[in-house]
Amino acid sequence: MATETTTVTDIADAAERQRRLELKELLNKKYKWVDWKWDLVFWTTAVFVVAGAADITKQLFAGDWDFWTDWKDPQWWPVVTAFATIIIPSTLQYIQWTAWRFPTGATYTACCLFFAAWVGRYFQWDLAATYPMNFVWPASVVCAGILMDWTLMKTKSFILTSLIGAHVWAIAVWAYNYVPLAAFLQPAHFMDHVVTVADVQGIAYIRSQTPEYLRLIERGALRSFLGETQYVSLAFAGTAAFAGYWIGQFIGRYLAVWPIRRYLKTM
Amino acid sequence: MAKRFVIGSERVNVSSILYLLKDTFTLFGMLFVLAVVVANTPSAFAHGEAADEPFLKNMTTAFFNVSVSPTEIEVGEPVKVTGSVKILETWPHTLETPEIASIMPVVPGPVFVLKERFVNGTAAIGSFFAQKGGIYEFEMELVGKEPGDWHVHPGIAVYGTGTLIGPGEWVTVKPSAEPFSFPLTLLSGETIELSTYGGAFAWWWSFAGFVLGVAWILYWTTNKRTVTNLAVTVQLPVNDDAPDIGLITPRDHMWMNVIVGVTLVMLVVGWTYATSNAPVRWPQQTDWFTPEFISSGEKMAEAQASGATYDEASETLEMKVQVTNVVESDIELKQLTIAMATFVNGPEAEQAKAGPRDFVGRLEVQPDGPIAPGETKELTLTVSSQIFGAERLIPTQAPQQFIGAVLRFENGNDGHELVTVRSNVVPTQFRSTYLP
Repeated sequence: MATETTTVTDIADAAERQRRLELKELLNKKYKWVDWKWDLVFWTTAVFVVAGAADITKQLFAGDWDFWTDWKDPQWWPVVTAFATIIIPSTLQYIQWTAWRFPTGATYTACCLFFAAWVGRYFQWDLAATYPMNFVWPASVVCAGILMDWTLMKTKSFILTSLIGAHVWAIAVWAYNYVPLAAFLQPAHFMDHVVTVADVQGIAYIRSQTPEYLRLIERGALRSFLGETQYVSLAFAGTAAFAGYWIGQFIGRYLAVWPIRRYLKTM
Repeated sequence: MAKRFVIGSERVNVSSILYLLKDTFTLFGMLFVLAVVVANTPSAFAHGEAADEPFLKNMTTAFFNVSVSPTEIEVGEPVKVTGSVKILETWPHTLETPEIASIMPVVPGPVFVLKERFVNGTAAIGSFFAQKGGIYEFEMELVGKEPGDWHVHPGIAVYGTGTLIGPGEWVTVKPSAEPFSFPLTLLSGETIELSTYGGAFAWWWSFAGFVLGVAWILYWTTNKRTVTNLAVTVQLPVNDDAPDIGLITPRDHMWMNVIVGVTLVMLVVGWTYATSNAPVRWPQQTDWFTPEFISSGEKMAEAQASGATYDEASETLEMKVQVTNVVESDIELKQLTIAMATFVNGPEAEQAKAGPRDFVGRLEVQPDGPIAPGETKELTLTVSSQIFGAERLIPTQAPQQFIGAVLRFENGNDGHELVTVRSNVVPTQFRSTYLP
């Protein structure tokens, strides 16, 4: 009996080894019509779709927080930005990992978003609307994308990436963008008040249809942590990013991949 | 057995190529039409207030004594915008009760910068607590930033309602020999140029991260094939990175560790630089305040509107108001303010002082003249003005067929009182409508 079991296991192992050898051959197979040009066309054309999706999602959920320096506060900005920016990277992470086993989805989306956001800010906001770039620079999520892709590569699990990577994402987005923001948080004397440089920008560069009371900063009840609302916000930002990560996964699984499979023939 | 995917069969033949060409012509045709339309579209200089429902303007606020001066400057020179706005007691019930407001210049973007703003004498960096019946005197100093002809209005944004604008004036900003500059002194004593400060660093810092991201992407896309990997990955569990097959190898891990290491080092270096360069950092400031109370003036009149008519063809409003003088001296009705328009019962010189010329007109009062102490008079106020049509101030077919207005009474001793009245409006013409 034991001999029979061993034999069956050995056969199964051998079959699996053989299957993986075939897969290795398949991975390196030379195709007649499908070569690197297809890859180039794919990666290049996808830039615009991914950039558009990521930028629109960011503007929908974190518009003003990303548009202006005086909205980038310690309490709300880390939370809404982490949530808004992780959705499409998560989608692309799902697609690129499951389809090609590339841990590149978040970084690729972040790079596309960088391109779209800076082009938009420069041409629409700076050139057309004359807001100076130092007031409307967009947050960058490339650093966070690299760290989240790295997390997926190491864990090979979307669940673990959502648990660990989403918190890493929230901290990285905040930390990376705090570096250029720091200069705008210096206090100055303006209009008989002590305000930050970012506040002066918000007051001076007129936004007729965005009155000051719409600026959702420093509001809320996070006041019982010895003034350390920043860290409480970051913890919550991780949770919000976790939720955003799974919204992105849903988009990837059921709105992106599933409809495509409807139009592919399986032979 | 390996799965293979093929894209559904579609034949390409001569007829489909002709069809494609036809589509191409159609596309170019549409692009041509679009280009012609865009090239011939005039610039819009209004702020959209005419599109607002009339009740949103005349029942909510009244602007008076507005001045925009001077009307011709060079880049870097100041313009003063002063005046008053009253939040009317006739505030529509369909809007949220006014509680928070913000006064600002309404201009086409930051073609000016705002350097000073006072509301009822208090420097206002942000919003303030407001209420129905409140009068808010404002004084704003703008500095020309972009050359051009700009329409400058004061506006009051009310939470839950939006921005309501006052009368405006064209201001010409001429180019200057000196480029626009906005020096700002920090509490540290350092003076910075606000127009550019920190902008280059924000760009290069973001770009450096982008370069790392591109390196990450290029590693995968140049060392490995993309599209054809699908044939392999569909046959593996999702958490199998298959180093033995060659999907993700130890070499890949090594290089990705290097990029992550560089990213973290960059983050630490950047953070250290930023925080040592700006060691004192504050949270953004938010300050809302309650402005000093400003009275509507000495109590001198009781006024009650008993109805109004509006003739759309001649743009003439006629309103009947019953007025009782409740003081010991004669009083006289001098002004009627509806939203951003002021109508003056007086000569041209008095009209010129009442506000920007496009938003001022003549008020006829019948019977004209003083109202004696204790006397009650029924006055007929008549105003003909193109602003009624241009700014859509009077409702002609609206769910709130009313207007709100502020009457300014004066006595001979420099005293005045602002009295708000509300009246229904009956149009004298009725138009058929064929659409809802």
